[in-house]
Amino acid sequence: MVEKKSPYSYVVEKSCLTATDRPRRFLEAFAAVLEHSSYGVSLDLAARAGAKCARCSAGCQLYEATADPRDIPCRRSELLLTVYRRYFTRPGMLAARLGSGFVLTDEYIDRMGEEFYRCTACRRCKLSCPLGIDHGLITHLSRWLLAEVGVVPKALVVAVREQLQGVGNTSAIPVPALKDTCEFLEEELRDNFGAEVKFPLDVEGAEHVFFPAVSDYLLEPDTLMGNAAVMALTGGSWTIGTGNYDGINYGLFYSDRMMERIVHREVDEVRRLHGKKILIGECGHATRSAWFASTFCGPEAPQVVNFLQYTAGALRQGKLPLKKEHIEEKVTYHDPCNLARAGRITEEPREILRAICDDFVEMTPNRQQNYCCGGGGGTVSIDEIRSFRTKLMGKRKADQIRATGAKLVVAPCANCKKQLREVCEDHGLDVQVVGLHDLVLKVLDFSAVKSPPEAVPESVPAAGGAA
Amino acid sequence: MTTLLAFARGPLFLFCFAFMVLGLLRHVLLTTWEIRRVQRRAGDPSLPRKALFRATLRWLVPLDKLREQTLFTGTSILFHVGVLLVPLFLAGHIALSARGTGLKWPALPNTAADVLTIVSVIAGVALFTLRLSLRATRSLSRPLDFALPLLVALPIATGFFVMHPALDPFGFRAMLLVHVLSADLVMLLMPLTKLVHAVLLPGTQVLSEIGWHWPADSGSRVAAALGKEEEPV
Repeated sequence: MVEKKSPYSYVVEKSCLTATDRPRRFLEAFAAVLEHSSYGVSLDLAARAGAKCARCSAGCQLYEATADPRDIPCRRSELLLTVYRRYFTRPGMLAARLGSGFVLTDEYIDRMGEEFYRCTACRRCKLSCPLGIDHGLITHLSRWLLAEVGVVPKALVVAVREQLQGVGNTSAIPVPALKDTCEFLEEELRDNFGAEVKFPLDVEGAEHVFFPAVSDYLLEPDTLMGNAAVMALTGGSWTIGTGNYDGINYGLFYSDRMMERIVHREVDEVRRLHGKKILIGECGHATRSAWFASTFCGPEAPQVVNFLQYTAGALRQGKLPLKKEHIEEKVTYHDPCNLARAGRITEEPREILRAICDDFVEMTPNRQQNYCCGGGGGTVSIDEIRSFRTKLMGKRKADQIRATGAKLVVAPCANCKKQLREVCEDHGLDVQVVGLHDLVLKVLDFSAVKSPPEAVPESVPAAGGAA
Repeated sequence: MTTLLAFARGPLFLFCFAFMVLGLLRHVLLTTWEIRRVQRRAGDPSLPRKALFRATLRWLVPLDKLREQTLFTGTSILFHVGVLLVPLFLAGHIALSARGTGLKWPALPNTAADVLTIVSVIAGVALFTLRLSLRATRSLSRPLDFALPLLVALPIATGFFVMHPALDPFGFRAMLLVHVLSADLVMLLMPLTKLVHAVLLPGTQVLSEIGWHWPADSGSRVAAALGKEEEPV
């Protein structure tokens, strides 16, 4: 639904189209960020030492698909670096006095607004840069500065508004609906697996407070049932807080101000329930943004555990009862950038998949080097750019999946799942995209535990697999 | 020419050398200070030290990167090996240092220096050609990006003829003058251009990482600075 012609490929709010005085406000925001945050040091490196060698172009799946010079990561970053040099470095200011032509204009801001949303901030190009310049960081910062002058996709800002000022989560699921959904999922588990598995709400003192991507309650019942079943069978101490049950944090995609507030809400909910750890469901960006808890809330912030780490830990300790029958179809695994790019979660899902699948094949390349699904950086939520996301940004991923010959693609990330389903549809791939715990659910041996224990925090052992 | 040569080898060399050393030192000190400042302010100052060390080492000795963009990487490695080793470890340069300051260190055999010289000059020209011929690099490059590989290769190439006067087509003194002047210019440009990566490279992985280590309340502080604390989303 396009409200008014936007200079961008994505829909923005009306206020963005009527905003005035944007160059001045952009520079004010830039100055404030340089003073109060830490970006200056990384920007300065890129501005001083960037060699313009274009090695980053070889790492970028978008440039590979378009061969458009504006999609070279280094060139995109140069858009912001030009502003930085001109207005925030002494040589740049001196050059300006001597007649250097660059002036930040509305048109230039529009150009940045378009181009920084052609990057998913997957950070793959950082691995190819001899200087380790992090173009993902520059995209992240640029988007924040653009958001301060109102340039931000409506899809992202509406979700954050709902989370911070509306119902309290990005999918606008009220608490009664959450309770109904949990009861429904419990019934499903009872009917389909004969298992008494609980979704414990507001249990005080639980070790883990659970924050999935809240959209999972609408779209990924199997993932959530898998999560709950693992917890029940391993005696995990967990709860879902009705004060905040959403791990999604679109602040990561456009504003540190929003990101900070959303992370604080998660930490506040854990503290309200006297929990110990933030347990993130199958979601890459939710995990990465939660990892910033110690940044925003200091060393006393709760530890962050991704569900893959929990389940892999239980598997290693022999606490995960599995049937003898495994998943027979050929399965491959997509590494979400936010979990794998920095090498933080790569082996845990593979340990689980090897334990439950007869035919697990790797994509090439994988782990830290894996290609983005094409919908990273929040772009997956922008429906109006689907064609760009799937056909250009997702082309390399479609090729990767096709080459494996797999029938099931496991993607432990809500955003990756949506994007990969659309990529497969638009590229005519006959594969099913599932969550990891969807498969775990199929091979869990519920009979191993006659009466699964309910979450009673005082009586359960500490969960294994914590980060 | 004698006066000019004496000037280029004497005061100009001293000025350019001091400018390079002090300029690069300034970069290193300011960068180190900035890293410490960011770390002190960071809500979470802990760094993935092992991963950073590994990435730094990998790019200081990027042999495993030869598998990607082999031609470009290989050319770049050969160029860098030559331009680093030859000026620093040439017997003639060490002899000059010993005569002027008394400082000396082990030298490369002259034959090895010759081979490295020729390789790095060819690699410098190849880098220029590659930059010009590849669509991606051509579209990115600023004038200085094209000029620098040739400019850095110039004192190396002229140095070869200074070492081998019999092969010199222009005459020893003219060649020596160009050699010294071009070397002076490269030293002058080191702190002022991207050549500064010569000293920043060991720290670049850390510099990129700490950009993510923000102060605990950076978002709120920015909001306050912009008067947006109460602004609705």
